[in-house]
Amino acid sequence: MRQALALKIGVSGVRGIVGDALTPQLVTTFGAAFGTYAGAGPILVGTDTRPSRDMVRHAVMAGLMSVGCIPVDLGIVPVPVLQSHIRRSGAFGGICVTASHNPIEWNALKFFGADGILLRPHEAAELTDLYHQGVFPRIGGTAVAEPRHDDSAIARHREAVLRHIDMDAIRSAGIHVAVDCCNGAAHAATPAFLEQLGCRVTAIYVDPDEPFPHNPEPVPENMTALGQAVLESGADIGFIQDADADRLAIADETGVPLGEESTLAIVVRHVLKRDPGPVVVNVSTSRMLDDICREAGCPLHRTRVGEINVVSRMAEVGARIGGEGNGGVIAPAINPCRDSFVAMAYVLEAMAQEAKSISALRAAIPHYAFIKERIEVSPREVPELLRALRALWGEADLDYTDGIKAIWADRWIQARASNTEPIVRLIAEAPCEADARQMLDAARAVLSRG
Amino acid sequence: MRQLKIGTSGIRGVVGDALTPELAVNFACAFGAYCAGGAVVIGRDTRRSSVMLRSAVLSALISSGCEVIDLGVCTTPAVSFAIRHTGAAGGISVTGSHNDARWNALKFIGPDGALLNAANTEELLDIYHAGAFLRVGWSELRRFRLRTDLIADYVEHVAEALACDAVRSRGLRVAVDYCNGAAIEAGQRLLDRMGCEIIPLNDDPSVEFAHPPAPSRTNMRQLAALMRSVPADIGVAINADGDRIGFVLPGGVPLSEEYSLPLAANEALATRSGPVVTNLSTSRMVERVAERHGRTCVRTTVGEGHVMDLALTNGAAVAGEGNGGVAVLPHAATFDALLTLGVVLRTMAARDCTFADLCADIPAMHMHKGEVAVPPDQVYRVLDVFREQYADVEADLTDGVRLEWPDAWLHVRASNTEPLLRVIAEADVAERADTLFDEAMALARRAAMAHGVR
Repeated sequence: MRQALALKIGVSGVRGIVGDALTPQLVTTFGAAFGTYAGAGPILVGTDTRPSRDMVRHAVMAGLMSVGCIPVDLGIVPVPVLQSHIRRSGAFGGICVTASHNPIEWNALKFFGADGILLRPHEAAELTDLYHQGVFPRIGGTAVAEPRHDDSAIARHREAVLRHIDMDAIRSAGIHVAVDCCNGAAHAATPAFLEQLGCRVTAIYVDPDEPFPHNPEPVPENMTALGQAVLESGADIGFIQDADADRLAIADETGVPLGEESTLAIVVRHVLKRDPGPVVVNVSTSRMLDDICREAGCPLHRTRVGEINVVSRMAEVGARIGGEGNGGVIAPAINPCRDSFVAMAYVLEAMAQEAKSISALRAAIPHYAFIKERIEVSPREVPELLRALRALWGEADLDYTDGIKAIWADRWIQARASNTEPIVRLIAEAPCEADARQMLDAARAVLSRG
Repeated sequence: MRQLKIGTSGIRGVVGDALTPELAVNFACAFGAYCAGGAVVIGRDTRRSSVMLRSAVLSALISSGCEVIDLGVCTTPAVSFAIRHTGAAGGISVTGSHNDARWNALKFIGPDGALLNAANTEELLDIYHAGAFLRVGWSELRRFRLRTDLIADYVEHVAEALACDAVRSRGLRVAVDYCNGAAIEAGQRLLDRMGCEIIPLNDDPSVEFAHPPAPSRTNMRQLAALMRSVPADIGVAINADGDRIGFVLPGGVPLSEEYSLPLAANEALATRSGPVVTNLSTSRMVERVAERHGRTCVRTTVGEGHVMDLALTNGAAVAGEGNGGVAVLPHAATFDALLTLGVVLRTMAARDCTFADLCADIPAMHMHKGEVAVPPDQVYRVLDVFREQYADVEADLTDGVRLEWPDAWLHVRASNTEPLLRVIAEADVAERADTLFDEAMALARRAAMAHGVR
């Protein structure tokens, strides 16, 4: 296979490996391109805790300043905090320096419009056009504006989220929470958030100057330390966020990971009880959501993978709750993006209002075996491979919303090219592990023949 | 024409035109590679665009694996000091120096604290053109450190070099025009240390330059006006990055910036051995001072990079240029306005004399400077005309054409920064200077016309 490039420019932003494709040159020019796109005004800039954060942040700010923008430096902040602060502060847009759940050698720029929402595909296309045209309205030296600093974003976001939450119920429940912040962007925000809810907090990995203790993706294999912390501290629940705190996964009171797909399921079930309505999730999200929506009598819409696709459809259908199965909960009335703080608040509210343990809440939802695999594939081979899979899955209902998804009465499998890495993701869900594994293995055999 | 100049004074251009953050990133990456990923000191002046270029430079150096030591807003000589003090591999001063506020530049400084000389600049340019940058992985990135405390160490270094306690008892009143530039903090500290009463002018770093920052007589009019109403023992104007200084006499008479070097040399040569190094365009006043101390005066190509390179090599006592840039060795490896000021104040205290007395001690000369627009591709033909016209005089061709007589000299050279021919004439008596200058300007104009029209 041809060596995959360590650079992705797409709807999710600009993502690359530091020291390889993600250079200060590239980032500076993207800063200038985004400033040109957003207009000469305040642009929020925040970072996660990756060691490359200063390198990338300063390159972005230099590019922004060169076209007349005023960078507003929020320092280390969770992505959802930055997004909610854009509208609140009247900024023209925002850039977050974070590679989210990618390993530490990566970094990325995520671009947000004045509405605090990730650039939509056509907007992202305009930005990359500006980048490639390379002609920017540079301002003269005497007009350059000095960056401002704003430390208020985390507290203002906390207040905004908690206005929508039954704080009294959570406070009187006195829940003990263990949390793994992965030494990431939420290292300070999350303990403060939970304490505000009257929780007893056992926090691990909250040092922003230490490297990630494990890969930041909140999947079961990265949750060993959290499980141990839950058991040792006797916590009622364990939370784990990724490096930029848009995604959340949960461990139950015995320290066992519930699987990241459970987060959205638990939250949606809770919200629909009080506030029934349409729900939007992506096409890769667990069929638990189908069960929950059917039971609540609410329509479920599925979109392509990617926060922006879900957020856009939610606005179209007027959904109050939705998200992505990988732990991304979206409640647009609170914050129009995946927000792990919103997810934590809703999970705790469900425990408090129903007076149930987290494992009891999980048990109220049907269980499926859910397996994800990643297969390194050169992007140019992807179409051929998907056609081969179509032949393999010919007898099923086929859905081409994103890649190809084959659906049978009680199971499904999907193959799609990642937006963020040169890989194909295979996802299978079935009543039991063996069935899911069998579907995956058959698909893998086709892919590796390619 | 796009305004960008690359040479021993670094890269210099008009911001938003040729000088973009991308260009700064690329040059700083080249410098990071030149320093082999070692520690690099950075500082900046108060220009609004300096914040932007600092971010670009910071990002580039971090990406090269350099440990960046950031002094914040400070003078170029403070960056030079911090490099030597911390043992860093080099430094970058983000400053348009004497240029007006539209301009900015990166000055590259080596481990010896001096601007890169011609050979080192060439190496840096080779790295830049080859794009041979270091791109280190995430685990080799170093956190940058803010070290504004090093500015106090720099002031202490200057104060110790001057043994300035002797000045304290004099209680001198010093009017200082900082041009809202980078020397404000260090200047206030040093003058406090010397027990001076400070009459500050343009000392707000957040405000734009009140006038172009070069310490010329024209740009010192505001300071001169202040000194006509406020009594002071001496007036000084310091440019945006603290490498050039000009003086104003009590009562408000501004001196030519050509005086700064001979004033400092007259004192420095009394205490340290070695020649004087200056450029080919600088007034003979400093030659006369050197003769008085039994020293030679060596002249080289215009530009601090060339002058300081020779000065450090030949063990000069003092070096400088007629633009107000002076280095008193061995305390400075770059031109240093505050050190120059300190030397002059110490002299006034030691000799118990007025500033006018010090100036009277410098043999006066008569100088004219002018310029003639010449397209860059015609400059060398015009220079040839001068060589032919004055064929009976031995010409120094180091930098343009320089002709010397016992009582006068004439220097005609291409500007480094603009499509201009610069003409400088100086003589012991005014009439001779007038004649020589008028003759040269007329010749330059005629030659430019002849060659400019095809």
